[in-house]
Amino acid sequence: MKLGYVFGEVAQGLKRNLSMVVSIVLVTFLSLTFVGTAALLQLQISEMKNYWYDRAQVAIYLCSSYSPDEACPQGEASGDVKTAIEAKLNDSTLAPYVEKYYFLNHDDALKQFKEEFKDNTITEYVTADQLNETFWVKLKNASDGEIITQSFSGVAGVEEVRDQRSYLDQIFSMLNAASLAAVGIAVVMLFSSILLIATTIRQSAFSRRREIGIMRLVGASNFYIQLPFVIEGVTAAAIGSLLAGGAVFAIVQLFVQGYLAQALPFTNFVGLDTALMLLPFIFGIGVLLAAFASIASIRRYLRA
Amino acid sequence: MISIQNVSKTYKGAPRPALDTVTLEIDKGDFVFLVGASGSGKSSLLRMMLREDVPSKGSIHVLGENLISIPGRRVPYFRRNIGMVFQDFRLLPNKTVHQNVAFCLEVIGKSPAFIADAVPAVLKLVGLEEKRDRYPNELSGGEQQRVALARAIVNKPQLLLADEPTGNLDPATSQEIVNLLERISAAGTTIVMATHDRGIVDKLKRRVVVLKEGKIVSDERGVGYEKAEEMR
Repeated sequence: MKLGYVFGEVAQGLKRNLSMVVSIVLVTFLSLTFVGTAALLQLQISEMKNYWYDRAQVAIYLCSSYSPDEACPQGEASGDVKTAIEAKLNDSTLAPYVEKYYFLNHDDALKQFKEEFKDNTITEYVTADQLNETFWVKLKNASDGEIITQSFSGVAGVEEVRDQRSYLDQIFSMLNAASLAAVGIAVVMLFSSILLIATTIRQSAFSRRREIGIMRLVGASNFYIQLPFVIEGVTAAAIGSLLAGGAVFAIVQLFVQGYLAQALPFTNFVGLDTALMLLPFIFGIGVLLAAFASIASIRRYLRA
Repeated sequence: MISIQNVSKTYKGAPRPALDTVTLEIDKGDFVFLVGASGSGKSSLLRMMLREDVPSKGSIHVLGENLISIPGRRVPYFRRNIGMVFQDFRLLPNKTVHQNVAFCLEVIGKSPAFIADAVPAVLKLVGLEEKRDRYPNELSGGEQQRVALARAIVNKPQLLLADEPTGNLDPATSQEIVNLLERISAAGTTIVMATHDRGIVDKLKRRVVVLKEGKIVSDERGVGYEKAEEMR
């Protein structure tokens, strides 16, 4: 096998079809950047899910003297209500699901409130009795929140049961939709890059039809005839894939770590190690698709 | 060497078959002329022998290969034992004489040392060693056909197929090409040549197979064109 010949042909083909090659590079670059971004977003979502679901609790808000009458006709929850709730959390039906729970009285609630909103003037107006006494329940499995909600909703002295997970789910489903949209765009663009590669290879084969004709006549193997074209397509796509990998790196470094992580200091964000992990996938998708598209189109050309 | 049994070929949309139950045996070392009018099936028959095309019916064996059942990936290796020349030479215009001949050895993976030996030898045989660095458009038609012939035989094929090799050449130049073919034949290569050229056929007195409308109408040895036509 003459590698010199093969690479000479590849270089010539790339030069001859420069504008097509540039468009393959760009389309592959953009589509794989979308693929990479979607993957980053998915990984970010699962990282955040791990972090937040772990901390998500179910709050059983007890009636206070400020609670609306519909929910709390008896007014402020009595000591009996608290004992009953505690007994229920400890009994054999619920205990297996509960990891731990703690009770927050009016004073503790105020203390926590002031801690959370310490730079806000609202703390000057809020008094302890305005804040609900609360049982905070941490579950062994965060997805069992419904059990607690069912057991305590409508119980006398309970104003509201709220699963924090329901707030999180809204955020996550939005992020999920965004990543699906990115995947959708990526698929369309990958498809057009496959078509572009196929067209370019066919054009390239057409401009070398004399050589191909002679090679077939004198008995060059199909592999040998096809190789330069496949390498041509793969080279263009590989450049695009590398650019896409660079773009994913830049997104993580400049946007996620450089901006988001500064702006939201208490959230865990995907890091460069994640981007590094994605790199072989991005490169692999680009190269495999290009190889597939080139082989398919040159085969069809040679058969005709 | 070549065994063709009851081969027919029908192309889609054609009113009559290009080849109609053709049976032909060609032995090793034969020099066979295929003659007949345009469209009589000469080229189709050559294409079948090169496995460029497959018959619709019948069987064809060339160089011990069954060309009906040969797998596609073996076809290139089969073709390495066959040389072919055409009326229009089919040289690569951007390569020199030497490069044109070397190219067909390079692409079948011959070593540079082999190429360095074989190409000058074959160019000497066809009398073009002086013009090895010329490009095809700097050569006369006869010289171009000699390059094509050099390319066809440089790999020492057992079989040489020629499709109207003198069709674009004047009689004197045609004679040069035919002389070359005779030398190649004398060295033991089997030659099948399709031609219109009465002069050549009459002069050489070889085996002449006459085709008409896809059928073999006569197959005689040692006669001229007219004679073969008459005998049908």
